Amino acid sequence: MTLLLWQDNFSVGIAEVDHEHRELIGLINALHAALGTERSGERVEAFLGEIYADISAHFALEERVMRERRYDALAEHKADHERLLDQLRDMMDAQADGAVLDDARFGGELAEWFTGHFRTHDARFHRSLAR
Amino acid sequence: MKRALRWLFERVEAGFAAVFGQRLNPIPQLGSLGWFLFWIVTVSGIYVYVFFDTGLTQAWESLERLSRDQWYLGGLMRSLHRYASDALVVVVFVHLLREFALDRMRGNRWFPWVTGVPLLWFMYACGITGYWMVWDQLAQYVAIATTEWLDAIGIFAEPIARNFLDSERLSGRFFTLIIYMHIALPLLMLLFMWVHIQRHAHARVNPPRGLALGTLAALVVLSYAWPAQSQAPADLDRVPFSLGIDWFYLTVYPLLDRMGGGSLWLVLAGGSLLLSLLPWLPPLRKPPPARVDLANCNGCSRCFADCPFGAITMVQRTDGLAFEQEAKVDADQCMSCGICVGACPTATPFRRAGALSAGIELPDRSVAGLRDELIAATAKLSGPARVLVIGCSHDAGSRALADDETAVVGLPCVGMLPPSFLDFALARHHVDGVMLSGCAAHDCYERLGDQWVEQRIANERDPNLRARVPRERVAVSWQNPAQPGRLRESLVQFRQHLRQLGPATAMGAASGATAATTGERPAAWRARLAEFGRPVRWSGQAAAYAVLVASVGFLATRPAYTYLAEDQALLKLSFSHAGQPLKPCRRYTPEELAKLPFSERKATSCERGRWPVYVELDLDGQPVYRGTHEPAGLWNDGPSAVYVRFEVPAGRHRVVARLRDNGADSGFTAFAERTIELAPGENFVVDYRAAEGGFVFGLPAQQGAGTEVP
Repeated sequence: MTLLLWQDNFSVGIAEVDHEHRELIGLINALHAALGTERSGERVEAFLGEIYADISAHFALEERVMRERRYDALAEHKADHERLLDQLRDMMDAQADGAVLDDARFGGELAEWFTGHFRTHDARFHRSLAR
Repeated sequence: MKRALRWLFERVEAGFAAVFGQRLNPIPQLGSLGWFLFWIVTVSGIYVYVFFDTGLTQAWESLERLSRDQWYLGGLMRSLHRYASDALVVVVFVHLLREFALDRMRGNRWFPWVTGVPLLWFMYACGITGYWMVWDQLAQYVAIATTEWLDAIGIFAEPIARNFLDSERLSGRFFTLIIYMHIALPLLMLLFMWVHIQRHAHARVNPPRGLALGTLAALVVLSYAWPAQSQAPADLDRVPFSLGIDWFYLTVYPLLDRMGGGSLWLVLAGGSLLLSLLPWLPPLRKPPPARVDLANCNGCSRCFADCPFGAITMVQRTDGLAFEQEAKVDADQCMSCGICVGACPTATPFRRAGALSAGIELPDRSVAGLRDELIAATAKLSGPARVLVIGCSHDAGSRALADDETAVVGLPCVGMLPPSFLDFALARHHVDGVMLSGCAAHDCYERLGDQWVEQRIANERDPNLRARVPRERVAVSWQNPAQPGRLRESLVQFRQHLRQLGPATAMGAASGATAATTGERPAAWRARLAEFGRPVRWSGQAAAYAVLVASVGFLATRPAYTYLAEDQALLKLSFSHAGQPLKPCRRYTPEELAKLPFSERKATSCERGRWPVYVELDLDGQPVYRGTHEPAGLWNDGPSAVYVRFEVPAGRHRVVARLRDNGADSGFTAFAERTIELAPGENFVVDYRAAEGGFVFGLPAQQGAGTEVP
């Protein structure tokens, strides 16, 4: 089962940002699929690390775009980015300390964050660009 | 020599740090102090100019009036103008020496180094023209010596020193030109100062406020205690015996009197050339520049924002991916400090899938290698307070700190460390604390490393250190390389502090999860190192300022330079006279005229070209000068100019002058013989004016001293 599906209304209207959003969704789905077969161990850790790096880089890019366009809600948006990175880091630490990542927690938290972030923060940014 | 100088500078800087504190330490601030002094000179100069009378005869008097009637402001401004300019020379040369000692002219740094060389010339030209404007005896000396020196280049058709031959021939025009130059040159200098800092991102052009105020206050005290004064007004008919010379700006003039203009030009031009070539002279050492890995670069531009040398530009994407930009490294400008790597969001050690490669990497120091080294070095540690020290290549010897409890990993600059490595080292329990060891604060060898590290830890700059990372386990120690003891002491204190905290295992995912994601975050932990008490520091600062202004005040006029012994006078042979034409003009014959095109017809045919002028001067029966002077001009049809001077003992002399301007092998076209009486310090000119019947000895006022011999 695919965890996250790209929807056209996720688009913020900036090609490079949308491109990375799609890539991230793909990566998270791949991790989710891997979790189905293998709940702990190096593969999961590697996946998490990769996602963490990619999301960090993606947020860096998105924040650059927002800064360039003088987006007025950058601070709130960035705070939400930080919140996700912290969630992700918590999972990484838990995983490293030997906890088994359960599907509910992983899938639930990440999917919830992504869809929530897309619907609220990214949508607001999209609207501000349209103005 | 470079090593000895560096040793010296490190100790001097440590000494200043002890009394000024590192934030106000003037040694790393020499460049910005230079800017500050330049602005003082500019503001005070504009003020003085308002009251300055640009007339040759009124200039001196207007400055006297300013110093006398308006001593509290005008006099202050005038003194500040002089002393800040002098202090600028000190600051500039110490700055130059220090950059040389630290070898900070290699690679991309050739640019500020080379553009600094014309700045030296501008600075001197400004100083020299400035002293000229006062039109006192010093100005007179400067004017004559400078024009004679410029004449040594041989590009002027007629010696410009003849503008200042005696009071009769003095021309106010040249003086006016100098005034304009004294305005134009500083403007050009400012332009070059701007160019000088172009390749430095976030160049420091303002010193810290405390240092600026201290410097200004010291100069004000000096200005009131020892106001700048003019010397006696200029009198071109007298030669000053002894002069209070500004040894900061006018050092070349005594040299000029000893070695002659031509050789001094060669020395200065050669010296400037050598100075400009230094960045390319051995020992050359150029580590490979940073490289962008497009597979890991999305064009977020953080490396671009953090590069201290402007070596990174964001350019249009080249690999067809959906991104707009990518980072591009200019290999010539890259100093391989790695600060860009520390800024890259993909440079995180948590990555495990495949080979770890950041979006921008130093070929000599990969992020993957750094991660492996960190894990290997910390694996050997034991004890309750294991510390990882991240050192830089210019720190106070972090390498020597390695032991059973301490692992040391070296980087070109601590700014190269991505903050996630701190998170990684602590969260994965590799160590109980991390200490970053770098150059003295505000004096990062790679310019901005310490600044970015502090800001990343304090959440003021991306990529920031995550809030979850306990700041009490992250220490910074910015120490002067001359003081390894202070680095060692800060490590000892950090370890004690960690022992009190207990092992890092107590913290984990649970405690980190609740950490605030925004707002203030504490800065890194730092040791409390012993320092002097406030009275010692303040008196030390006062002493440092006092030494600076006392030496500036003293050398601005002392020791006096003896230009002419007190029983000597100056005899000048100088004139401008056109030799006879090589061929006299002749009338065209009617036949010749008929052949000429109508528009070119004229009465006479004149060929261009004149004979050189040969001149002899005898003094008391001894030949003192024999010279042939070629006519000026591309067609050799201009006047021949003569300018020679001799120091002669004061008293009665027999002078014989002879001149030949017709190209004959012997015989003279003009001859004169005189007995003259020279007073000590007298300036006596022997001129030749064909229109007035031949040689002219001295001014009308001086002619009483001589007797015509028929």
